[in-house]
Amino acid sequence: MAMRQTPLTCSGHTRPVVDLAFSGITPYGYFLISACKDGKPMLRQGDTGDWIGTFLGHKGAVWGATLNKEATKAATAAADFTAKVWDAVTGDEVLTLAHKHIVKSVNFTQDSNYLLTGGNDKVLRIYDLSKPEADPQEIAGHTSAIKKALWCNNDQQILSAADDKTIRLWDKNTQEAVHTLSFDASVTSMEYIPDGEIVVITYGRTIGFYNAHSLDLIKTVDAPASIHSASLHPEKDFFVAGGDDFKLYKYDYTTKEEMESYKGHFGPIHTVRFSPDGELYASGSEDGTLRLWQTAVGKTYGLWKCVLPEELSSENSEVLYCPPAEIKA
Amino acid sequence: MTFILKTHTGYADAALILNEISMKTPVSVLRLPRGPDPNSRGFDPNSPRFIALCPTTLSSSSSSGAVDEEEQRLRSDLRERFLRTLLLMTDKQVEFNMHEKVRVRARFGASDIDVLNFQVSGLETPLGVQKEALLRCQDVISCSFEL
Repeated sequence: MAMRQTPLTCSGHTRPVVDLAFSGITPYGYFLISACKDGKPMLRQGDTGDWIGTFLGHKGAVWGATLNKEATKAATAAADFTAKVWDAVTGDEVLTLAHKHIVKSVNFTQDSNYLLTGGNDKVLRIYDLSKPEADPQEIAGHTSAIKKALWCNNDQQILSAADDKTIRLWDKNTQEAVHTLSFDASVTSMEYIPDGEIVVITYGRTIGFYNAHSLDLIKTVDAPASIHSASLHPEKDFFVAGGDDFKLYKYDYTTKEEMESYKGHFGPIHTVRFSPDGELYASGSEDGTLRLWQTAVGKTYGLWKCVLPEELSSENSEVLYCPPAEIKA
Repeated sequence: MTFILKTHTGYADAALILNEISMKTPVSVLRLPRGPDPNSRGFDPNSPRFIALCPTTLSSSSSSGAVDEEEQRLRSDLRERFLRTLLLMTDKQVEFNMHEKVRVRARFGASDIDVLNFQVSGLETPLGVQKEALLRCQDVISCSFEL
């Protein structure tokens, strides 16, 4: 029987959620960090959305947040001109890295030893976390504010997206731009999928998929509305996208067909990411909430429970919370 | 007012679609995600992850942990010695070496909690003996007394 998606709403933030990131799968499950304009990034259990803690310390809107693979470290980028590194187990601030302008993006290498930052001063910086006092390696070239900077290709190269409507692939050692992609519209988001070497880029209403080494175009898909963020499923069978019209779209990656669209958010969607196991995806919105959505609707996973019709009406179902059957406009 | 719904073959399809929508059961959830605790910043120290990943202050297998412990132990020893010295100094004649080549003698009374001032009596100064005085500790270089 057809089931209707029940998104799980994670409240707590008081302002728009602008970025979110998942950790890898750890012995304690996987985790999710959300960046918010209220300056208080939060750590949550990835499969349930349960709040674990809030990283307190930034004095301005947090524009970017990331976790390392093991979810032992977190990094945040903020409007207070700093990037901070945190202990993701205790919640303590470990490092503050001063910048000359708003920092927008932070990204750890696979071994968590280096942190890449990018922001409004147009310069990419690489910090050696074992020598935080040392000056970072700087890579300049973009002519506008950097929106997102990611390690890729075994942490040997860097992908950066900026308001100058370009995406550049840099070699970390030579600090040269190896490839550049130019667009007519501002790039709104970028995601790197190491397994398969794919970069997901959104601009205007388009979701583009590119080869991470050559930046050759694989395919593009156009959505009904302006898209702010998209994420490709780890198995590469679907991708999800969200943007201006508050809806979340789910597409078949192979056929490019729109499979589903979900309403739920009360504001534009700024960020969307698949979990590392692909079982759910999380979206962050202008409405200040994070929502978790099932990839396979109706499956028992996390807080979602597959319930047969007989169970629903029996007395044994007191543990189950059945959302009211609302008529979705 | 009367509405006459005129449909052709579409009516049966519409009914089917309406039926489907109302039949689609929303997925049940066990509970809603837990929100933030208004009183704390979280990171529960009793969670299994915290206990497993954060070494407690008592046990430490890493070498840097051992060095920190040793340093702390030394600091504690020095602090204890200092406090005991102050206790021993009470009511004794003490000679204070201060900046600007000042050397004065006095009977030591007590120190304040932050060791900013020493209360002394009978302070011998070139201008005479001051019955009660406070010596500013930051001006004191050293002091000596007989046990």
